[in-house]
Amino acid sequence: MSFRETLESGKFVVTAEVGPPKGTDIKQMTHDMELLKGKVDALNVTDNQSAVMRICSIAGCKLLVEHGIEPILQMTCRDRNRIGLQSDLLGAYVLGIKNVLCMTGDHVLAGDHKDAKPVYDLESVQLLKTVDGLNHGRDLAGNEMQGATDFYFGAVVTPEANPLEPQLAKFHKKIKAGAKFFQTQAIYDIEKFKGFMQVAREYPVKVLAGLVILKSVGMANFLNKNVPGIRVPQEFIDELKAAGKEKALETGMDIAARHIRQLKEENICDGVHIMAIGMEDKVPVIMQKAGLL
Amino acid sequence: MIITEKKDRAKLLETVKDYKSFFLLGCSECATLCGTGGEPELKEMKELLEANGKTVTGTFVAKTGCQVLGTKVELKGHKEALEATDCIIVMSCGAGTQSAVEIFPQIAVYPANNSAFLGNMTRLQMFDERCSLCGDCILDQTGGICPVTACPKGILNGPCGGTNDGNCEISPDIKCAWVRIYERMGKLGKTVEFKEMVLEPKRWSASIKPRRVNAREEKK
Ligand code: SF4
Ligand code: SF4
Repeated sequence: MSFRETLESGKFVVTAEVGPPKGTDIKQMTHDMELLKGKVDALNVTDNQSAVMRICSIAGCKLLVEHGIEPILQMTCRDRNRIGLQSDLLGAYVLGIKNVLCMTGDHVLAGDHKDAKPVYDLESVQLLKTVDGLNHGRDLAGNEMQGATDFYFGAVVTPEANPLEPQLAKFHKKIKAGAKFFQTQAIYDIEKFKGFMQVAREYPVKVLAGLVILKSVGMANFLNKNVPGIRVPQEFIDELKAAGKEKALETGMDIAARHIRQLKEENICDGVHIMAIGMEDKVPVIMQKAGLL
Repeated sequence: MIITEKKDRAKLLETVKDYKSFFLLGCSECATLCGTGGEPELKEMKELLEANGKTVTGTFVAKTGCQVLGTKVELKGHKEALEATDCIIVMSCGAGTQSAVEIFPQIAVYPANNSAFLGNMTRLQMFDERCSLCGDCILDQTGGICPVTACPKGILNGPCGGTNDGNCEISPDIKCAWVRIYERMGKLGKTVEFKEMVLEPKRWSASIKPRRVNAREEKK
């Protein structure tokens, strides 16, 4: 079953992600792909994540297709104008890439080419509308195309954004623009997330809760301090502390597994998106701990 | 107004090192308010050039340096000083500099300033960029706050996921444009409108350079 069919059938899905390397050595990425093959329902391929220049996400997705893994193409608006975006979408489609995640994208100032010209000719909401148009056989300028796409497309949302109201308005706009599924920014506070899901359940969209594995107290503090929209509650920081340096990662994985179990058992959302950030080998371990493998 | 900043003086001296006699042209409008091209700055530049062995044949603060004809007429009274100069240093914006280029096709013209943006003066000599002259104003739809300019990504349907306690992800010194728009539209009783509006991609064809307006023709 495809990612779309699995998700739409109501089965609890698991996605993870791989980040293409800077440079042509794809050994690590291929290794991670193989490791996750057959375990997750689909794999996101990041698009020059954090505005750091790497192999493009389309090539990464194509490699996944060749290895028999279903990709979710992350597409940001930072580096291409509307012509480039649409052309890449058509190209991705004919290469067998069927899922797209539409994002505005981190600013170039976050990355390693700070003097680059940020494009943002479109942004996430407009990109979603664009994909919807391509699916209906017309481009953004209203031209009829020879052959439409049939993308399953989604977006991201930050359930812990502060302030939350404008973020929820944006969530509403993304759905209006056609988004079918959402992968959230990392969440840790399940009770609070339930509140967000109450809003989300009013819409006919699927939501995958974003999980970032905590590997140390330092990392938890870093996330709280530096990543907008991520809040690691003190209780987990204390839990990591109590576990000690040696066992911190193990504890972080336990926390993630616990959350997955609860999200699934209480039917809080439709799946999870595990962002391992360099620890892709831990994804199957967590899935096992959560009773998914 | 057009916000200008002084170019590095050492570099400027290096650029004009082959010239001997200079005429300094300032502007009484934006550059004076920015402290880059009024009487005090012209005086300062004159002293700097003289201290570096150059001659200054004359100085003049134009009424409106971007007004080509007006500036040309004003400069008629400085004919002698201009004839004796081999380089004009313009201490206004890039538009003022190019007025001088047009008026004096035979004389070298150099800018003393960098032209930065169209700015609002918030306090004396403090400026904020609020409009980037996109040519297709959408302030009517965004509660009067310009996201094209105030949001570093120019997002038309914001905020992005980077909002950080109401500030922009790229700097805690910038308030998120879309949080501001949300708050302002809320005050105007337009929260529902905020939620429902989906702005179309911008018509960038309205800002293809160089732009030209003939207001005379439009009046007809
Ligand atoms: S929408 Fe365009 S014209 Fe209007 S304030 Fe913004 S940049 Fe200026
Ligand atoms: S935080 Fe707000 S102002 Fe900054 S890029 Fe995002 S939407 Fe724009």
